[in-house]
Amino acid sequence: MDEVNLIIAGVGGQGSVLASHLVAMAAIEEGLRARVGETFGAAMRGGSVASHVRIGKNVSAPLVPEGGAEIVIALEPLEGLRNAVKYLAKGGLLLTNTRPLAPVDVNIGRAEYPSMQTIEEAVKKLGGKIIAIDATSLAQQAGNVRTVNVVMLGALAGIGKLPISLESLRCAIRENVPKGTEEVNLRAFELGLNAVREK
Amino acid sequence: MRIEDIIVEDSPGKRVLLMGNEAIARGAIEAGVGVAASYPGTPASEILETLALAAPKLGFHAEWSTNEKVAFEVAAGAALTGVRALTSMKNAGLNWVMDMFMTLVYGGVRGGFVIAVADDPSAHYSSNEQDTRFAAFYGEIPCLEPADQQEAKDMTRYAFELSEQLELPVMVRSVTRVSHASGDVELGPIAKIKRRPVFDKHWKLPYRWNVYGPPGPVEKHRWLHSRQPMAKKVVEKLPWNRLELRGKPKLGIIASGIGASYAREAVRRLGLNKKVAFLKIGTPTPLPERMVSRLLRAVKTVIVVEEGDPLVELQVRGLARDASPKLRVIGKMSGHLPQVGEINTDIVLRALAKVAGIRPREDRARERARAEVSKLVAPRSSTLCAGCPHLGSYWALKQALRKVGGKVPIINGDIGCYEQGGYGIFAKEVKPKDTAESVRYAIESPYETLDTNYIMGGGIGLLQGEFHAGYTDGAIVAVAGDSTFFHACIPAVINAVYNKAKGVFLVLDNSWTAMTGHQPHPGTGLTATGEPAKQLLIEDIARACGVEFLKVVDPFDLAATTAAIEEALKFGGFAMVIARRVCTLQALRQKKFIGKRMVVDPNKCTGCRLCVSFGCPGVLFKDGKGGIDPLICNGCGMCAQVCPTGAISVGE
Repeated sequence: MDEVNLIIAGVGGQGSVLASHLVAMAAIEEGLRARVGETFGAAMRGGSVASHVRIGKNVSAPLVPEGGAEIVIALEPLEGLRNAVKYLAKGGLLLTNTRPLAPVDVNIGRAEYPSMQTIEEAVKKLGGKIIAIDATSLAQQAGNVRTVNVVMLGALAGIGKLPISLESLRCAIRENVPKGTEEVNLRAFELGLNAVREK
Repeated sequence: MRIEDIIVEDSPGKRVLLMGNEAIARGAIEAGVGVAASYPGTPASEILETLALAAPKLGFHAEWSTNEKVAFEVAAGAALTGVRALTSMKNAGLNWVMDMFMTLVYGGVRGGFVIAVADDPSAHYSSNEQDTRFAAFYGEIPCLEPADQQEAKDMTRYAFELSEQLELPVMVRSVTRVSHASGDVELGPIAKIKRRPVFDKHWKLPYRWNVYGPPGPVEKHRWLHSRQPMAKKVVEKLPWNRLELRGKPKLGIIASGIGASYAREAVRRLGLNKKVAFLKIGTPTPLPERMVSRLLRAVKTVIVVEEGDPLVELQVRGLARDASPKLRVIGKMSGHLPQVGEINTDIVLRALAKVAGIRPREDRARERARAEVSKLVAPRSSTLCAGCPHLGSYWALKQALRKVGGKVPIINGDIGCYEQGGYGIFAKEVKPKDTAESVRYAIESPYETLDTNYIMGGGIGLLQGEFHAGYTDGAIVAVAGDSTFFHACIPAVINAVYNKAKGVFLVLDNSWTAMTGHQPHPGTGLTATGEPAKQLLIEDIARACGVEFLKVVDPFDLAATTAAIEEALKFGGFAMVIARRVCTLQALRQKKFIGKRMVVDPNKCTGCRLCVSFGCPGVLFKDGKGGIDPLICNGCGMCAQVCPTGAISVGE
């Protein structure tokens, strides 16, 4: 493995940045180099946020090249599609939550939200694969809907393409999620992991 | 390990993940910083935030100052006494500082003084794309420009040393992709410096710290010039300026700061490693001119890669006239690299491939598929948070303006979360007109409220000019936040009263500098390190400034807020309304506010979309009816006040 390029996409406030830091911290723990960058549709919460994670022996720039992401992890499906169009590598994987968060543009009737089926077809058209899980429900099952990011991190680990051990990821979660939420986050991680392994 | 522990850990050699801003803070800590001051501004805020975490543990002073100029002076004052000091700011923050910046350099400093500035090419979080490296050039001080997080730390630590060697402030210029990106960083030792502050008004030079003291500013300017040869000599030996020149390559690359990271990667991806000469620049000013000239003499073509405006390229073009007049210089000025927006590896790769005569592989079918799929991606306009008090203020402002009539109101905006009131709806096309009359545009959502917006404190000044110009086609309003009020509005309020301007100044007070990540300010009652502090009330200051109409309202109460703004609009003088409620995110975080989720009764809902036009991200519209997303709703209850048919109520 030379390098792994990932994008964790979501809506501001969903925790995509923390999820990407957890991956990078676990990678450094295993002696790899890491870079995390971010792209955003607008200033802060409520807008599109995508965190770029690059792991390898020789990474230097913080952003994944266009068409260079092996996996796009989406905490929200529309954001998954937005980033897949630009960054997903040919043959890459969109790993997405199925729960939409409608943009205000859709709510005021100025734009249309693509259905899950449309998104699946679009990803295939891009030459990519898609795995969709209901991460929001799994997060609620774990005990806190705000752990969607960690459910998706578990799902990512379940794909088995990261050069990082599950133990390093669990350790990064334990040490870096807000104090007092360690258990619920670790439960979320396992639920995401199993959801993908069952697929 | 959490950042508050990592930042103070004295374990040299340990590798950790640090954000660029944390790395800058760590560099200052390793250098033994004694005083650090800043005003929040993305993408620079985490520098002082991180220092504030370490300050109580390591025993130095870290503060959020009322604005960047004050912060700069606080840090400079410490440096005059020989204590190491740092001030940090975003690109625009430096504009506030320029007066002191251009004058402090005439006498320089005694203790190391580092000015850390985070630029924002592509203006992700900013009003402009300005390249502040030019300020270092203008002020004749060295500028260090890191290529990654490791360099951000190492350069900041070294900048204190260089500052003391030259007796001048030193700038560390970061950009979004360094400051707001993270990378693995190897920690260095923490210097155990505890300097006793001393003062000597004639230290090495007469009247050192007083530009007017004899022999006066011109001689001090001469002294500043006299430092330049030493600075130029030093930069030739720095590890961050490095020339890799083997064999007889035709093409040379000169890449500064983050540009070097992009260029390195582009060279690797194109397989040009052994075919090009590479000059990595860490000091865009002063440039290591001898090193540059050596490269210019060795190659036929040179490509300059840098983030921002062509500061290095301009100098390289000048040096090339002497060193190698026939040399071809490629860069932003030649049009090979874009002159606006940030660069990245893909952009540098395309430019480099073109110059090197390499045709990049294209997958036309996939490009077509991408273009087709792009059309399916709905835009996502930025919104205020669910239950944000500003939503209430904007709703009330809209109702009050409607009630008082008038054709075309002017609503002047300002900088803070509420600036989203001018972000517009991305999916909506705007068709500009050019008529001789004032033009009214419907406000379909709060995001179309603000008509002007430039800089911190700018709106309240514009209001006065619009009034004195004689504008009578509608009401004139300015909107600003609490932190912005303390930062930049007070002299403008005094001016409005003194010069008899008329208009309404609406202050949206949510108790925190929210947009940049909830830093405290003089109205919060806390310092940067979390110590209790005297809480200043905006109404007390306004009263002292002579404001006669003054109302404080709760923006969650839409009727009362509307009435107060309406009254202010009818007052006929300079009127202030302070809409005060703590930021909902902070209230939730501190468990001071737990609202019950709202629900919509579909039998009562007529599908009028008024709730949607309120602009809360928790309000949905589906199948002809309004709805509430229970995952987003924070239960503020404002949408229920908006609904004309009483269809929205408190749920379980």
